[in-house]
Amino acid sequence: MLAKAMRLVALAVKQLVRHPVRTILTLFGVASGMFLFTTVQTMQTSLDKVTQQRAADTTLVVYRENRFCPETSRLPEYYLNEIRAIDGVREVIPIKITVNNCGASLDVITFRGVPSERLARYAPEIGVIDGSYEDWENRDDGALVGKLLAQKRGLAPGDAFEAAGVRVTVSGIIDSPLPQDNSVAYVHLPFLQQASRHGLGVVTQFNVRVETSDDLKRVALAIDERFRSEGEPTTTQPEKAFFARAAGELLSLIGFTRWIGYGAVLAVVGLIANAVLLVVRGRVRENAILQTIGFPGGAIGFVVVAEGTVLAFAGTLVGVGLAMAFLSWRGLTFGNEGQTLALAPQASVLFSGMLLSLVLGLIASLGPAWVAMRRPIVDSLRS
Amino acid sequence: MNESLIHCRKLAKHYRKGAQTVTPLRDIDLDVATGEFLALMGPSGSGKTTLLNLVAGIDSPSEGTLRVCGEDITQLSRNRLARWRAHHVGYIFQLYHLVPVLTAFENVELPLLLDDMPRRVRREQVEATLAQVGLEDRMHHYPRELSGGQEQRVAIARALVASPELLVADEPTGDLDREAGRAILNLLEELCTEHGKTIVMVTHDPHAAESAHKVLHLEKGQLLKPEEVNHAG
Ligand SMILES: Nc1ncnc2c1ncn2[C@@H]1O[C@H](COP(=O)(O)OP(=O)(O)O)[C@@H](O)[C@H]1O
Ligand SMILES: [Mg+2]
Repeated sequence: MLAKAMRLVALAVKQLVRHPVRTILTLFGVASGMFLFTTVQTMQTSLDKVTQQRAADTTLVVYRENRFCPETSRLPEYYLNEIRAIDGVREVIPIKITVNNCGASLDVITFRGVPSERLARYAPEIGVIDGSYEDWENRDDGALVGKLLAQKRGLAPGDAFEAAGVRVTVSGIIDSPLPQDNSVAYVHLPFLQQASRHGLGVVTQFNVRVETSDDLKRVALAIDERFRSEGEPTTTQPEKAFFARAAGELLSLIGFTRWIGYGAVLAVVGLIANAVLLVVRGRVRENAILQTIGFPGGAIGFVVVAEGTVLAFAGTLVGVGLAMAFLSWRGLTFGNEGQTLALAPQASVLFSGMLLSLVLGLIASLGPAWVAMRRPIVDSLRS
Repeated sequence: MNESLIHCRKLAKHYRKGAQTVTPLRDIDLDVATGEFLALMGPSGSGKTTLLNLVAGIDSPSEGTLRVCGEDITQLSRNRLARWRAHHVGYIFQLYHLVPVLTAFENVELPLLLDDMPRRVRREQVEATLAQVGLEDRMHHYPRELSGGQEQRVAIARALVASPELLVADEPTGDLDREAGRAILNLLEELCTEHGKTIVMVTHDPHAAESAHKVLHLEKGQLLKPEEVNHAG
């Protein structure tokens, strides 16, 4: 049964391979559509990852009340000890953020100034994949550069680079399971404070890890309550909600691209359906011959569906592969108000793309297959 | 006498063309014995192809009884009929009708793709059949690289490869020059006399009909009796 199916698939593949021009043109179209789809889909899932609350999330961001740009959010560094004293807080890290571009941008470089002695404790999940952490600790202008940023800028340990008026030397390249870490550069807090006109003692935000995710709401309220009557009141939100708000219009813009992705998929279905229909039309007599020599209608239909599905799958393989290569080469980073969204290729997108292609190929070729298998043999022979 | 390989009584075929009914075939009584080589002659439009299609099980009669290879093929479902064709009939067309993107070998292999047999057995069977039609040195040629006569041999090999008892041929030499046509006829004769195949061949050509054991004439959808043939001739 399976062996027979494989022999029929082989027949379909011969039909495709031995009509190379037609096949390549169709593959080109399918690949373009799926390239678009994959890119859009990567955007959507990257966005979901950083904006959709998960049960296991335990991070809060403390920001200056009503100030959403890192340039305007200014909080005194000494809040650190006050926040740490609040019940349910596990770790706190003060962060000074400097970006080269505060508006919506495709090419954002974000510096996060943090106390070097706290970073390893606050974010143990960060791994150094090149260079060394010690070098960073010992070097005033050292930077730990996220792997996506490094890739995009072609940075290696020992290189110097400048952005937003800050000049740093790369001490190490880091890899983190948290996508944002991979597109920023960590520098020393005093170094970044000195480079900025606000000077020492001022930070942009605090990141807070609470004991359990059940504590998120309570701790957030407690923090804001604590500083309500101070000169610099705060707004505390879960990290993802914070990102969603800060990303603002970027969010709806990216949300909208979803429709471009769906459009690309529809175009692919139309393209395959058209190609398969042309194939079936052009092969009316040939299919009648196959039936004459004993192929049942089902086998004829199966070959047609196999052709459509192989076309869809092969085209998708090319399109998705190119998209993945493109994304890992270019590493697109969207930024708005100091928040960055890095587009990294994802296995889940790859697999869902491949799976989708099988469904698309099937949908697109079922109709033509039905037509091909139901035509009376003698009518086809006389045509 | 054994049961005939082909047995039809009062066979008729009607087609509906709008409000009209066309009857390309009526009142056909025909018996073809196993191992017989029958030629069907008749003017264009007399119903020869229609009769051949009924006998080969790719069209169904409107009236009458039709037994072929011991089976009442009017009673078979589409799928059973397809399987029946695969095992009992080989069809040879005037215009060969090979699949252009497949090599001679692959064309001949087609009928075997539906049977479960080891790949090696399948290959041997295809090679033996191509050798039988004298094309062992053209196995990996595409149809466009073959002459008409060679293409028709490939088509005959394709019809033969699953070892059917019955071969039907619709003007198999109609598109060939005299010499190539002659070779095809010799091949068919040999298949009949040496391999015991039953053959029904439609032809226009009286020379071609000479290869057959028996010649029947169709006219306006009916088989002529021998005396009517003389009359007409
Ligand atoms: N599917 C069909 N629909 C309508 N008429 C048909 C069909 N098939 C055959 N005919 C008619 O039946 C007659 C006999 O056709 P055919 O068997 O092909 O003749 P021959 O092979 O002897 O030239 C012709 O007049 C043809 O037009
Ligand atoms: Mg005819």
